[in-house]
Amino acid sequence: MRKIIIIGGSAAGMTAAIAAAEQDPSAEVTVITSDRVPYRRPAVPALIAGYITEPSDIKVFSPETLKRHGVKLLCPAEVTNIDSKNKNISVKSNGKESKLLYDSAVIATGGLAKIPKIAGADKKGVCTFTTYESAAEIAEIAKNTDCAMVIGAGFIALEIAEALMHKGLDVYFNVRSRILRTLLEPDVSEMLMHKFEQQGLQMLTGQAISEIGGSDRVEYVIHKSNKLTTNLVVLGAGVNPNVALAKKCDIELGASGAIRVDNQMQTSAKDIYAAGDCTETLDLSTSKYTYSPVGSIGALAGRIAGRNAAGANLQTDGFLRAQADNILGAQIYSIGHSTTTAKNVNLQVEVHNLDAHQMGEQNRIAKPFEMGKLLTNREDKIVGAQLISKKHGSQFSWQLYRAVLTGENRKDFLGRFDSTRAKMVQALVDAKQSKVMIDNISVDTSFTLKLSKKP
Amino acid sequence: MVDVEKCLACKSCEIACAMVHSKSKALEEAIAESPKPQRMLTVEATTEFAVPIQCRHCETPLCVEICPTGALRRHDEQQPVVVEQELCIGCKMCTLICPFGILQIGLEERAIIKCDICLERTQAGEEPACVEACPTKALKLVSLDEPTESKPNKSR
Repeated sequence: MRKIIIIGGSAAGMTAAIAAAEQDPSAEVTVITSDRVPYRRPAVPALIAGYITEPSDIKVFSPETLKRHGVKLLCPAEVTNIDSKNKNISVKSNGKESKLLYDSAVIATGGLAKIPKIAGADKKGVCTFTTYESAAEIAEIAKNTDCAMVIGAGFIALEIAEALMHKGLDVYFNVRSRILRTLLEPDVSEMLMHKFEQQGLQMLTGQAISEIGGSDRVEYVIHKSNKLTTNLVVLGAGVNPNVALAKKCDIELGASGAIRVDNQMQTSAKDIYAAGDCTETLDLSTSKYTYSPVGSIGALAGRIAGRNAAGANLQTDGFLRAQADNILGAQIYSIGHSTTTAKNVNLQVEVHNLDAHQMGEQNRIAKPFEMGKLLTNREDKIVGAQLISKKHGSQFSWQLYRAVLTGENRKDFLGRFDSTRAKMVQALVDAKQSKVMIDNISVDTSFTLKLSKKP
Repeated sequence: MVDVEKCLACKSCEIACAMVHSKSKALEEAIAESPKPQRMLTVEATTEFAVPIQCRHCETPLCVEICPTGALRRHDEQQPVVVEQELCIGCKMCTLICPFGILQIGLEERAIIKCDICLERTQAGEEPACVEACPTKALKLVSLDEPTESKPNKSR
C-alpha cells in the first residue's frame, strides 16, 4: 500500500491529497498541517465582516469530508524534517515527535506574509491573516476602533478593506504604487482607485507608510508626513514562499527563491513533489518558470502533483493565471499576462483597448463593460486580457479566457467577441428564421455556444 | 424552459430564488438579513426579449472542467452540476468561465454558490422556486428526456 504524505493543508495541499486518493484509492494519503482548522483564505473577509463568527463555522475540508475522499488529516502538527534517503518525515504533534514513512510526498507549505520594513510593524494591532486566529484578531480589534489602515495591493487586501468598511469603519488603503499592479494595466488600476474612493475607501498611494507609531499598541501611522490616527493596521502586502523546510532538506530552489519543480511538479528530490505558493510555476505563454502565488494555480499544480505522487505520469504545458473578484461593486477579471508579469519573463507585449461601443452588444445595452484590455505578443497573439464591469462580466470573461488559453490572433478574436446575451439573441433570431425550435442554449468545453434543437 | 413570449422581466423568479436561499425564508426578514440573500439566476433583458437564465445544464460543463479541486461535479448527465462547498477553495475561476454568470461568490463563506435547479425541492416533488413564482407561467421545468410541446419561439 502506497503511503503518500502531503505537507501543508491549504489549496494546493488539499487538492493534491484528494487527487492522490482518486488516482490510487488503495493508497494511504495523509495531510499534515500546522493549521488548527483547514483554511480557505477567501473566508477571511467574511470572518472580519462578521458574516462568520467562529473559524470553526467555516466548513472546508473537514475530517469527515476528507475521509469520504480517502484522505487522513493530521492537524495541528508540524513537519520538522524530510529524510529523502530513508524516505521518512519527522512530525511533531501534541509535544510528541514521530517518524512517518512515505513512498511519495508533496510539499505544499504555502507562503509567509510579507512584513513591510516599516518602523513599528511589530506593535500590537498590526495584523496579518494567514491563519484564522490572526483574522479573528482583526475582527476583534475592529469592534473597538473606528478607523483602520490596510496595507496591500491585491484582491485579498481589498476584500478585507471592504469587509472593514462594511463594519462601519473609516478605512484607509495604502499601496506603494497602484492597486492590483500585477493584474491590471496602469489606467485600469487608476480607474478602480477613483471608483473605490467614491465609495469611501480612502486611497493613500505613491509611497509606503513610513512609520507605525504609538506605545505598545498602534495609535497612528505616518504617510507622506501626514499623521493618521488608527488602532488597526492590516498587512496584506503579499507573500514570500515558505521554503524553510525545503532548504533544510536540500531541496533545490529556483531563481525566485521558491522551490524549483519540473513540468511534472517533481522537486530535485526523488519522489518528492511540490505545489502552491511555495513553488515556482511554468508559465503557459512563455514556458518560463516564475513565482506566481495564486490560489487557482496552486490548486491546479496540486492536482498534478497529487496524481503523480500516486503513480500518474501527468505533465503540464504551463499554467494560465485567471483571477476574478468583486470589490465594492466592480467585477474585475485578469487573465494571463499583464505588462507587469510580462516584464518578469522578458515578454514583449502590446496593450490594446477593448471598446465596448464597437460590439454588437452596443445596440442593446448602453455600456456592457467599463474597461477592457487585450495584451498581445509580437505575433499579435493574445497573451493577456483584463475586464472591469458592473455586472454580468462573465459574459465576456469566458471568451477572454479562451483567447488567452489558445493564444488566439487578436483580429480573429475581435471579429467574434460579443456578449453571451448578444450571441443568444443572434442564435434565437437565426433559429426563428430557419423555423428551428430550440430546447436549450448551453456551452461546451470547446467554448462554443451550443444550441440543442428539438428532434 | 422559458416561453420567451410570456416573460415580462418582472423578476419574481429572482426574488423567489433569493428567498429560498435566505435564512428566514420570509420576505420581510430576508430583506434585513446580513449577508443579503443571493439569487442564483438572472433575468437577461434586452430590447427584444427577456429570459431568466438558470444553470444551463451544459452537456460538458466548462465549470466542471476548470474547477481545480473537483468541488464542481455532477453524478450523471441528468443531474444538475452542484458545488461540494467543503472542497471549494474560492479561487473563482468558475465565476470567470460560465458564459451565463451562474456561478457566484457566496458572501457568507466565500465558497461558490450556483443554481442547482432546486435539486432538493424537485427531489421532494416540488417545483423549482423560480418556476413556482412565475406569474405568467413562462417557466416550466422539463427533464432533458421529455418531449416538449411544439410552440413557436419556445426556448430555454
